Amino acid sequence: MTVDMAVEVGGLTLRGPVLAASGTFGYGTEVPLLERRALGAMVSKGIFLRPRAGTPPPRIVETPSGMLNAIGLQGPGVEGLIRDYAPQWAQWDFPVLVNINGETAAEYGELAARLDGVPGVAGFEINISCPNVEQGGLYFGNDPRAAAAVTDAVRKRTDLPVWVKLTPMVTDIGVIARACEAAGADALSAINTFVGMSIDLNTRQPRLSFRTGGLSGPAIRPLAVHLAHQAARAVSIPVIGIGGIMGAEDALEFLVAGCAAVQVGTATFVNPNAIAEVHDGIAAYLASHGFASLAELPRYLPRD
Amino acid sequence: MFVLSLDAPPIANSVRAGQFVNLGWSPGPLLRRPFSVYRTDGDRIEVILKAVGAGTSQLLSMTARDTISCLGPLGHGFELSTGPRSVALVSGGLGVAPMPLAAREARAAGMSVTWVHGARSVDELCSEADGDEVIWATDDGSRGFAGTAVSAMPETDIVLACGPNRMLAAVAMRWPDAQVAVETYMGCGTGVCLGCAVPLERGGYDRACKEGPVYRAADVDWSVLPAQLPYAVGA
Repeated sequence: MTVDMAVEVGGLTLRGPVLAASGTFGYGTEVPLLERRALGAMVSKGIFLRPRAGTPPPRIVETPSGMLNAIGLQGPGVEGLIRDYAPQWAQWDFPVLVNINGETAAEYGELAARLDGVPGVAGFEINISCPNVEQGGLYFGNDPRAAAAVTDAVRKRTDLPVWVKLTPMVTDIGVIARACEAAGADALSAINTFVGMSIDLNTRQPRLSFRTGGLSGPAIRPLAVHLAHQAARAVSIPVIGIGGIMGAEDALEFLVAGCAAVQVGTATFVNPNAIAEVHDGIAAYLASHGFASLAELPRYLPRD
Repeated sequence: MFVLSLDAPPIANSVRAGQFVNLGWSPGPLLRRPFSVYRTDGDRIEVILKAVGAGTSQLLSMTARDTISCLGPLGHGFELSTGPRSVALVSGGLGVAPMPLAAREARAAGMSVTWVHGARSVDELCSEADGDEVIWATDDGSRGFAGTAVSAMPETDIVLACGPNRMLAAVAMRWPDAQVAVETYMGCGTGVCLGCAVPLERGGYDRACKEGPVYRAADVDWSVLPAQLPYAVGA
């Protein structure tokens, strides 16, 4: 039995619900052996207007069932992205959203305006949740007015789909989610990494040069399922669940908890074909439970 | 030191000296761990490890015919084109890992090979020699030259080095053109996570797993590259 896995998410029709999370798939050109047939969409590595060197090493450290990273949004800047990557994206059979970053709301808007209409760019994921930059990032993500201001700045400069990636580092994710929805977001990505810290007892210093980093991997999954569920309850736009998905059952938890789609991140580091395996596993679950399509999957989403 | 032998025909038949494989095992750590390919034998590749932590004990408790996930060959290895007539292979401790393949490629390119093995003491010295000239160096003088591998080195046309980053920084001072294989933390091994950043003298970072792990010694900003990595399992 063939299962219809297509899904409509925030202005885009995707062939499947499993997406590549920003920062875990590069610009999609790095790994030739990756299976792309199951990829619903790719969200690019986060980009700023200007090139950024990123943070000094060590940038990553493994922690129990997870990892901390502080890459610092290393990247070529928007002109490098347009020159080197977008032309390749334009040839692909799945949409690519650009994860955009700025130090001010106006910078986010400028990025959207520059990228709007560039062949290969199908939409935007506004990053208001990066814990590893000195300016901007998380600041916008934990204040509903700032989150709305950034969303509005982007919304005014593009007709392409605008998604907003939320931080878990808030007291009530529903408040931020509603603020972004009201400012014109088409969908929400929930969640980005948790801020964490790890100490080396030989040096008695933080293991990461940036002192703190973003925690990802299976360690955060139950927290992420809860926060994605809370966001989904708070808004009527689609929520894309993210956080420690290693296999199909993990993805199905997010989908049942009210998410329209999911993003796979850290799992791709471990298994370059994780996305295809998660996609196939979801289809197998749906088929074995008698569902002809993803849309038929019952959701657990009591309204607030 | 332990040798793990893996049946991996496509890797065995294409790997170049200095390239690595990224191994994942279960039960094991979340992230894969990088290992230089040590030797090849027909369809097999070998990697070396020391028993230092939980991860290595898991690997060492495996038995013949167990399976392990092996991604590779990864990275950019040593350049051993014809021209130079002599090469020194300088290694500290487990840094000997990429050298047997380097010796093989150097001999194929017509070079004479000198091994320079450094370690803290004779117990940690590697016995790799393969019919070439060998120089030993131990910090405590328990075998060969008393001092570092770098201070024991002869003059050769080209120098390849692998070992602790502190040793490689010393190599860079004396032979800016040496090819060195650096140690970094690594996330994916495939170029997407940007976790294995190598600071460059010209500014910015690139990736040990993609542009590296082999660099021209003087191109690396050794003051920013961490000198010691408390990994459970080393490359």
